[in-house]
Amino acid sequence: MTAFQSDATTRTNDDVIVELRDTSVEFGMDRGTSKVLNEVTTEVYRDEILGVIGESGSGKSMFASAMLDAVPEPGVTTGEVIYHPEEGDPISVTDLSKEELRQFRWEEVSMVFQGAMSSFNPVLPIKTHFVETLSAHDYDIRRGLTRAKELLSDLYLDPERMLNSYPHELSGGMKQRVLIALSLVLDPDLLVMDEPTAALDLLMQRSIVSLLEDIKEKHDLTIVFITHDLPLVADLADRLAVLYAFEFAELGPSERILEEPAHPYTRALLNATPNLSAPLEEMRPIAGESPDPVNIPEGCSYHPRCPLADEECETIDPGPYDAGPDHDVHCHHWEQSIEDLDIAFEETSDSGTTASAVEKASGDPLVSLSDVEVTFGSANDGWLDFGESETVTAVDGISLDIYDNDVVVLVGESGCGKTTLAKTAVGLQTPTGGTIEYRGRDIWEGASGSTLADKEIRRALQIVHQDPGASLNSHHRVRTILEQPLKRWHSDLDGNDRRERILGMLEYVGISPPQDYIDRYPHQLSGGEQQRIALIRSMLVNPDLILADEAVSALDVSLRVGMMDLMIELQDTFDTSFLFISHDLSNARYIAEKTGGRIGVMYLGELVEIGSAERIIHDPQHPYTKALRWATPELEVDQVAEESPMRSIDIPDPTNPPSGCRYHTRCPEAREVCATQTPEFVDLGDDVHAQKSACFRAYDDHEYWQSESITDEHADANVGTDTDTDSGVTSESD
Amino acid sequence: MNWKIRRFGQAIFTVWAVMTLAFFLTRMMPGNPVDAFVARVGPELDNPQEAYELAEIYMNINPQDPIHVAYVDYMASMLQGDMGMSMSQNDSVAAIMAEAIPWTLFVMSWAIFIGFAVGISIGALMAYWEGSKFDVALTGYATIITSIPFYVLALVLLITFAYRLNWFPTSGRRPEGVEAGFNIPFILGIIHHAVLPVFSMFVASGVASLTMRGNSIRVLGEDYLRVARLRGLPDRTIAVQYIARNAILPMYTGLMIAIGSMFGGAVVLEEIFTYRGMGYYMIQAVRARDYPLMMGAFTVITIAVVIALLIADLTYGKIDPRAGNEDHDAF
Repeated sequence: MTAFQSDATTRTNDDVIVELRDTSVEFGMDRGTSKVLNEVTTEVYRDEILGVIGESGSGKSMFASAMLDAVPEPGVTTGEVIYHPEEGDPISVTDLSKEELRQFRWEEVSMVFQGAMSSFNPVLPIKTHFVETLSAHDYDIRRGLTRAKELLSDLYLDPERMLNSYPHELSGGMKQRVLIALSLVLDPDLLVMDEPTAALDLLMQRSIVSLLEDIKEKHDLTIVFITHDLPLVADLADRLAVLYAFEFAELGPSERILEEPAHPYTRALLNATPNLSAPLEEMRPIAGESPDPVNIPEGCSYHPRCPLADEECETIDPGPYDAGPDHDVHCHHWEQSIEDLDIAFEETSDSGTTASAVEKASGDPLVSLSDVEVTFGSANDGWLDFGESETVTAVDGISLDIYDNDVVVLVGESGCGKTTLAKTAVGLQTPTGGTIEYRGRDIWEGASGSTLADKEIRRALQIVHQDPGASLNSHHRVRTILEQPLKRWHSDLDGNDRRERILGMLEYVGISPPQDYIDRYPHQLSGGEQQRIALIRSMLVNPDLILADEAVSALDVSLRVGMMDLMIELQDTFDTSFLFISHDLSNARYIAEKTGGRIGVMYLGELVEIGSAERIIHDPQHPYTKALRWATPELEVDQVAEESPMRSIDIPDPTNPPSGCRYHTRCPEAREVCATQTPEFVDLGDDVHAQKSACFRAYDDHEYWQSESITDEHADANVGTDTDTDSGVTSESD
Repeated sequence: MNWKIRRFGQAIFTVWAVMTLAFFLTRMMPGNPVDAFVARVGPELDNPQEAYELAEIYMNINPQDPIHVAYVDYMASMLQGDMGMSMSQNDSVAAIMAEAIPWTLFVMSWAIFIGFAVGISIGALMAYWEGSKFDVALTGYATIITSIPFYVLALVLLITFAYRLNWFPTSGRRPEGVEAGFNIPFILGIIHHAVLPVFSMFVASGVASLTMRGNSIRVLGEDYLRVARLRGLPDRTIAVQYIARNAILPMYTGLMIAIGSMFGGAVVLEEIFTYRGMGYYMIQAVRARDYPLMMGAFTVITIAVVIALLIADLTYGKIDPRAGNEDHDAF
C-alpha cells in the first residue's frame, strides 16, 4: 500500500458524466430469470478512458447497452442510469420517452459495436448512412458532412472514397474506422465501444487503439472501452474496471489494477493472459469456468474458483472495499489477496528455455514443403467464357520443413495465407505448384481430385479447427464422435475396448467424470470442453502432425493457457508435431517457447521470417516482425508510446501485390531497391538459434545500404500502381 | 462489361441448344415423327411424294434431305420466326403462339404479381409478429397450402365457385357475344373469366410469404438494424430502407424465375379452366401428336425462361450493389 497519487482524489461530482446506480439487466428464460448485469453501481468520469475488462459472458456488453438504455429485447433494465450533461440538469436515461431517447442516443452518447463488419446497411452507400443520421437528428447536412470528412481523414481514410463506397467494398479495418467516424458525427460527449476491435487483425487493432487517444483529445470525448483483451487497453485506459459474473470485481486506476490488483480474480486473470514478457512458468489458467447467468453463486460469485474463499464468501456478497484512492474492490479478503497471491508481472530478462529448434531440425523432415504455391480464383476457362481471369496467390513459393516432435507456429495478418499454407501442409488444400512430401513421399502422388490417395498419410496429418462448436457434429453424442476415428483406424478394438479408451482419454484431458460426458451432445459442453473433444478426436487416430488452426482463439482468456498446456502435454505423450496458426503473437510465443518450436511470420503469401520464439520475440530482424511485435500490447501502463512502425495502416490488395519486397509499401526502412528486387531468405542463425529473415537489411554488404530511401514519399502512392512481378521468396516454379 | 457479353453469349447458346435438341428429337425420336407424318398423310394424297413437301411445310424438316442440310434449313426457318404449321389447329404455329401468348401473360402475370405482393406483405407482418397466433396460423396455412399442388385447389375452386355457386364461368377466356375491344363489358368479361385461374394460383402460393418471413426475421437480427435504431433513424426509413429492401432483395431472382417459367406453369391451369392460352394449346398438341405446335411451344417457353433469367442477372447488380461489378450470377 504505497502512497499513490492520482488526480482522482481531486475529482468532484461535476466530473461525472454517467452514473449507474444498482443497474441490473434481466432476461426471462425458460430456465428462470437470467441476470446478465447484477446491481452495478459505478461512475464514469468526464474526459477519461475507462477500460472495462471481462471474459465472454461476464455481462460487459450489457453494461455498454445499459448506458444508452439500449438493451436488446426482451431484456429489462432496472435501476438508475443518470447522464450528466456539461450544462443543465442530470438526465435519467431510463426514464426518457421514446422520442427523447431517440435524440439522446448518438447526440450525447453514441456507441461502436462489436460487429463493425455488419453495422452498415449493405445496400446503401456509406454517405447515406451519414446523411440519414444527420437528418434524423435535424443537423445541418452540409456542415455534418464536412465534419464527417474531417473525422475520416483523422482516421487515415480517404474521405471521398469512403463516402462513395458501399460497405462491402471496404476492408474490415476501414469499416471499423468509418463506424467510429459515424458514431462521432453528431459530436457526442461519451463514446461507448463494445469490443470494437475484436474482429480485426492485431496490427489494425493496435493502429485503431493508438488513433483513439488523438480522437479523444481532439473531440473532448469520454470513452468507455469494453474488451476481453486486457493488454489491449492496458496503456490506453485511465481507469480499469474488471467485470466478473455480471458484477464489478474491481475498479481502479490502470496502474493499480495492473501492478497491485486486489481482487483474486484480477490477479488470476493477469496470470492467465498470454503476453510477451512474463516468464512462462508464471502463466497459468484459472481453474473452473464462469458461472451460468441463471445460477449465479450465492455470496461472492467468484468463490467457487477462488483459492481464498471461506464461509463468509459463500454467504455474504462482498461490497466495495476501499483499497486505496479511487480503487474499489469487491472481495472480503483483498488484503490477504495482495499478500498471498503472486502475479506474474515481473519482467524477466531470460526465460531459461532451451531453444531446441536446431536440434529438432536435424534428421529427416516429417513433412517437407518445397516451393509450395497456391492460387485461388479460376483463370479464364475458355469456352464461352469471356471473363477476365482474376487470381489471388495465397501462398507464393514457400519452403518449410517440419520435423518429428516439432512445433511451428505461423503468425500473420488475416489474408496473409497462413491458413492456406498450413492446410496445404496437411493435405487439405491442393497446391497449384511445388511439392509436399511426407517422410520423403509426395503426398499428392496418385491422388485424384482433392483426396489423398494414401490413407496412411491421411491418418498421419490431422486438423483441429478454430471453432470447436462448428467442428463437432451437433447431432452426435460425444461417444459417437470419438468412436468414429477408432472404428476407422483401430478396427481390431471391440465396443468395450473403444469405450475404455475414450473414457481414458476424456479423463486424461481433464474432463471428469468421463462417464457423465460420454453421452452428452456437443451443445451440452462448454467451449473449452468442446475444444478438448475435438483435440482428442484428432489424437485418437494417432497422427504425426496436427494442424491447430487458431485453436485457442475462440476460448476465454482464462482458459487459453490451460488449453495450450494441454496441447503441449499431448504432443509430448503422443509424440506428434504441431503446426499452429495464430494471429496473436502472445499465444504463438507461449506455444513456441514452451516447446522449443519455431515461429514463422507470413506476409502476403510469403514467409518473411522464421526462427525460435526467443529470437522472433526479442530480436526480430524483419521490419514486419517488428511491426507485429509493436502491435502486441503488453500488460504495462507506462509503455513507451511508440510511433507506429508502419507507413500505412491498410494492407495492399492481395490480387495485385507490390513488386520487389512485398512489405516495401508499408516498411519504414524501405529503400528504392526494395521496390524492384525480391529479398531471399538469409540465415541469421548462430550456433543455438535458427533464424532466417527475408530482408536486405540482414546482409552487411548489400546495395540496399546505398539505395535511396523511399519512405518520404506518400505512403499510399505505391500501393496498387506497381504491376505484379510474381516475386516469391524462392519462387522458380510456375 | 465483359461479363455481360459472356452472360449474353450463354443465353444465346442455351436457346440454340434447345432448338437443336428440338430438331434432333423430332428427327430421331423413336417412331420418328417426321416419318410417321409422311406415313400417315402419304396414303391420303394423290401423289405420295407430296407428303415430303408437306412435311417440310409443317415441320420445317424435309426427311429426304441429308440430316445436316435438314438441320440448316430448320434453323434458318426458326430464326425467321417460322415454326412450321400446326397439324391439328390448321394454322401456322407462329400465329397460334402470337394469339395465345397475351392471354397466358395476362393470367399468369396477375397471378405472380398478386402472389408476390400479398406474400411479401403477409410475410413482413408474420416476421413483425413472430411467434404470435397470427404468425403461427399463417405459417401453418402457408406450409400446408404450398405442399398441395395448385391444380388440386384449382379443381376445388372450379367446382365450388363455378359449378355450384355459378359465380364465375366454368371455362373460356372471353365473354360470349361481346364485341372485342376497349369497351367496359369486354374488359370486365375478361377479368371475370380470369378471376378463378388467378385466384387458384394465388391461394396456392405460400412460398413468397414464407420466404419473406424468413428473410425479414434474418434482417431483424442484423447488427446494422440495431445500429440504425441507435442512430435514431425514423421508423419508416428503417422499415423501408433497412428491413424491406434487404429482405426482398433475395426474392428478386425467385420472381424472375417465376416470370420466366410462367408459360410452363400455365399448362395444367389452362387445361383445367379450358383457358385458351399457351398451355392449353400445348396439351392439345400433345394429345394430337401435333409435333410442330409442341416444339414451337417448347421453344417459346425456353426463350422466355432464358430472357427472364438474363434480365434478372443483368439487373440484379443495379438493385444490389454487392453484386454490381462482380462476377456473380444472381442465382
